Amino acid sequence: MNAALPHVLVAEDNPLVCDAMRVLFGETGHRVSTAGHVAEIVDIAESDPVDLLLLDLGLADGDGFDVLDQLRALKVPPRVTVALTGRDEPDIVARCLAAGCEAVLLKPVPARELLDRAGSWLATD
Amino acid sequence: MISVDQETPTSSLAQAPVSTLPLETQLKQALEHIAELEARDALKTQFLANISHDLRTPLTAVITHAEILRDGILGPLSDRQLDSISGIINGGRQLLAQVGEILKYARGAANQLTITWTEFQLGDVIAQQGTLNESLASKKGVTLETDVPADLEPVSADREKVGHIIGNLLGNAIDFTSNGGRVWVRVTRGQGPDGPECVIEVGDTGIGIDPAHHELVFREFAQVDSSASRQHHGTGLGLTIARKLVELHGGRIWLESALGAGSRFYFTIPHPAR
Repeated sequence: MNAALPHVLVAEDNPLVCDAMRVLFGETGHRVSTAGHVAEIVDIAESDPVDLLLLDLGLADGDGFDVLDQLRALKVPPRVTVALTGRDEPDIVARCLAAGCEAVLLKPVPARELLDRAGSWLATD
Repeated sequence: MISVDQETPTSSLAQAPVSTLPLETQLKQALEHIAELEARDALKTQFLANISHDLRTPLTAVITHAEILRDGILGPLSDRQLDSISGIINGGRQLLAQVGEILKYARGAANQLTITWTEFQLGDVIAQQGTLNESLASKKGVTLETDVPADLEPVSADREKVGHIIGNLLGNAIDFTSNGGRVWVRVTRGQGPDGPECVIEVGDTGIGIDPAHHELVFREFAQVDSSASRQHHGTGLGLTIARKLVELHGGRIWLESALGAGSRFYFTIPHPAR
């Protein structure tokens, strides 16, 4: 993989969605990692700084907030975190934003829109 | 011709033979029966919420893969291939909307829907829903009109949920109106039992609904024509959800319609004078 490309980590416990995201971002100039367990996600982020974390809230062994807590504690927060979730209740959205998410998007986000927005997020520091 | 083939609900309590047990025992049994039915209903609601949430995930994969192909990310496609991929995406999005409707119903049934109050211009939400439904109306050859007083004060309500109600009523109106017909959304100021209100009317010149079925259309899972050969498909939850959302706002919803005479659905949002 080309280390100069932005690193997108897809934290998602469904392999079908992981595959779709891997194709979408992998074919458009990003390095993509996928993982569905909290420990695995944290390991990847520790060993390879994450530019964009696409975070599902319901993971195999915990939730997305556990991931954010641990990454913050380890001082390896992603450059940008976006919650990609099946839940859009106002209290969930507020909790994600308070936890530092740039945006909360309801799955499935149209592919082109997700790429365009990712481009904007990655363009800002 | 539409017909009602939905079975009339019956109560097992009503059919029970006359009991010789003491009244106190009968009451206890009835209360236990009610508690059991409520528990089963809660299970059904939870099942609907879980299954609709779980269905979203594989649908996300299907739609995203199809959009990757459509958008040429894996290379250019021929026009015929694009048409076919667009069919997959449209079908997937339609299924997704129906799954979303089931989830919304389940949340409503479990009293998990909350209102996020904000102030907004009703005309903006109506214009937005009009735009969303424009292509559907134009495909069917149906004219879409809106009429909102230019000086209407902002309303205090949940913008997303009001949009959902109007979108549902508009979608139905277009669906049940044939080529050359008209669909409209009109807002007027009214006086309700509890004070001033906005009355939102969504009308059409479509097939209409027999007055005998007016209450049925708001009942969960009910469709006036529920036969396998019915022409209009859906979950049968749209109007149930719309009524729930209107009631959460403290409003009312009703319809005026007759077979062959079009339909006019009305709902209100309390609109205190400033």
